[in-house]
Amino acid sequence: MAVETIAKGPSPTRRAPSPRRRRRYRRSDIAWGAAFVAPAVVLFAVMGAYTIGYGFSLSFATWNGFAPTWRWVGLQNYADLLWADPRYSPRVQGAARNTLWVMVAVPLLTVAVSFPLAVLLNSVRRLKGLLRSVYFLPQVTSGIAVYFAWMYVLQPDGAINLLLRSVGLGSLQQPQGFLGNPSTALPTLIVITVWSSVPIAMMLYLAGLQTIDPNLVEAARVDGAGSWHATRHIVWPLLRPITAIVVLLAVRDSLQGFQTFLVMTNGGPGNHTNVLGLETYKLAFLSQLDPTLGLSSALGWLLFLAALILAVVNLRAMRRLT
Amino acid sequence: MRPGQRLGTVMTPHTRAWRPALAALLALTLGAAACSGDAEDSAGDSKTLTMWTFKQSHVKALQKVAEGFQKETGITVKVEAYGPDDAYVTKVQAAAQTRNLPDLFEVHTTGEDFTFGAAGLLTDLAKDVDDAWLNSYLPQVRKDGSVTDEYYQKSLAQDAKTKGIQLGQRYSVPLTVGTFGIVYANKQRLADAGVTSAPTTWEQFIEVLAKVKAKHPDNGGVTVGLKAPTTGLEWFLQPMAYGLLGPEKFRALWGKDKASNFSSPTGVQVLETYGQVTPYWTPGTQSLDIDAADLSFVQGKSTFDIGGTFTLAFLAQNGFDAANVLTFPVPAPANGAVKDLSLAPFTLTGMSVSATTKNRAGAIQWLKYLAKADVSATFAKEALDVPPTDLGADPSAAVGPALGAMIKAFGSGPNAYNPGDTSYRPNAYDGPTVASVLMDYSPLQKRPAADAAAEMTKQIDAFWTKQ
Repeated sequence: MAVETIAKGPSPTRRAPSPRRRRRYRRSDIAWGAAFVAPAVVLFAVMGAYTIGYGFSLSFATWNGFAPTWRWVGLQNYADLLWADPRYSPRVQGAARNTLWVMVAVPLLTVAVSFPLAVLLNSVRRLKGLLRSVYFLPQVTSGIAVYFAWMYVLQPDGAINLLLRSVGLGSLQQPQGFLGNPSTALPTLIVITVWSSVPIAMMLYLAGLQTIDPNLVEAARVDGAGSWHATRHIVWPLLRPITAIVVLLAVRDSLQGFQTFLVMTNGGPGNHTNVLGLETYKLAFLSQLDPTLGLSSALGWLLFLAALILAVVNLRAMRRLT
Repeated sequence: MRPGQRLGTVMTPHTRAWRPALAALLALTLGAAACSGDAEDSAGDSKTLTMWTFKQSHVKALQKVAEGFQKETGITVKVEAYGPDDAYVTKVQAAAQTRNLPDLFEVHTTGEDFTFGAAGLLTDLAKDVDDAWLNSYLPQVRKDGSVTDEYYQKSLAQDAKTKGIQLGQRYSVPLTVGTFGIVYANKQRLADAGVTSAPTTWEQFIEVLAKVKAKHPDNGGVTVGLKAPTTGLEWFLQPMAYGLLGPEKFRALWGKDKASNFSSPTGVQVLETYGQVTPYWTPGTQSLDIDAADLSFVQGKSTFDIGGTFTLAFLAQNGFDAANVLTFPVPAPANGAVKDLSLAPFTLTGMSVSATTKNRAGAIQWLKYLAKADVSATFAKEALDVPPTDLGADPSAAVGPALGAMIKAFGSGPNAYNPGDTSYRPNAYDGPTVASVLMDYSPLQKRPAADAAAEMTKQIDAFWTKQ
């Protein structure tokens, strides 16, 4: 068979295909290629380009989702959100302050928890698989049900207050619950967000740790470096690209994610845990049919812009560091 | 004939090459057409009506009365529930875009009905609802669902969500009536604390709260779903403030005049009176939504629950013994302007007919059927909700003692607080914004009364500027 195949192959003496024949062959390829690409292009055109264009144009209009027409207002929605409308701008400013806290605290705490955890996990010899699974559980179980479970745990008569009382730390109890006290509600939500971000960050660090040449650490040890120094001066710098990704993901989540806040506090008590993502959602879907879909869209685009700037700044900063 | 050659056409290798691409594009086009074309219509045919509701507790009751309607007319009514409220609105929004609306909707009266009507989703019922039909309803709610001059004027404002409605149109007829500002108390706990009758003044109410709290320090408190901050303001403070100040001064709290609005000494007095409840809130009540607060009462974590007439159905659904409930309206202070404060009923939910229904006559027939006193009473008894029809001197005989007592407590005139009357507030008024400030005062204690009152006025002024 092999001989036959070879015999059927192009002969070295065979003439080169004519330009017309070559063109036909290329068109056929293009047709096949287009056929395979077309579904993705059409899907992107409908689900991506159309919706993005629709949402962007909506940010220059007022509409409640029911009225037959939009009212074009130009850049007024953006101005109303930022300073012009006393109904919305104070709320947006308050939400921006809270979001800023979350954006600073969540990436820092995620790195502070996940990096040491990954280093420890990488160094254990036994039960490594089991421990990895345990630490990855928050990621697997993340979802609405888990947030409800957290709510029960954090209530005035919940497990955390009970635990604090039973170990003699009653003074740390929160009589109104950890989500009911405006001073503890936001920090508590930050901790829960970190809890759900750590597994992915830890896995990224673990993957990074596997790529480090053990000889580097070994050489440092030979030179007298202890575990702390080897981690501080060799492992940590080598994992800076991973840190950049972890920070970027955490910042993006903090800026745009709001499901934890929606389910657990809905921005309360009062407006003390309102964040920009949640405010966008409220303007779109919880505004009692007021024509605020345009405002919601405008806030969404402002968030996109902020995310874009932060991503660029973050990447540049990390590139300089690495 | 060679392969690829057909009669009348010559299929060259060049055209053949494009066939797969054309086939793929054709398939996509057909697929897209299938997606974007008229979806299967939710509306029924001449023998079936489809109705959407956002109240799960109404489904069984509507289905029960629909059986009688089916026997009488041969028309079947299919009831579908979608909740919570915001999900329901989104569902209607999506259905309107895809022209897939049902025949009938349950709506919040003078809310969704006008917005849906303005968007052309509903049919105008003004010519169908005659005097004979209207007379079956309580006099206080007969106008509810129709566009009065007040609502028409509001609709003329720029960006009004009801822009397009016309004076005299009717977009819904009443299905349930009721009111906010009803206190549900655990009768057994009250008896344990030596309280055997409902308090009639605000001062007595605070005394009762203190007594029960002393007897039951862990679960003797009062709850309301403050995760939706308006519950504290609209269900609790407002009835008390109406009783304290009377109709005119109460309305002035939302006005622009600094001498009489929330920032005035009168406004601060209202907040300070409300603040007397602060020591008696159930711990963590600020984190509970309305259902969770009701459940806190059912589970015995709270002894008092502030709600509306509709709360009883939820409590019963979740297993609370209706015989163990003492209900009374939020009372007025003893030195208040209104001595015998009562609560005026208004239409909470109504029924609307879709503009795209294929069986408008059948839908109207169904609405007329629901307005019959006996049918309405059966629905109310099943749903544990208050009907809009006149049930005579002894409503308890028709709907049971708990609902009957609430109906008997309804009032009218200047001594009755009507939560459905919002004409004194600016058009752009957003309750949660103002109510969140009140929460900072009580229960959160983050601001003093005067500071919170001044901030409330600042927020309300912002809404007036958009008038």
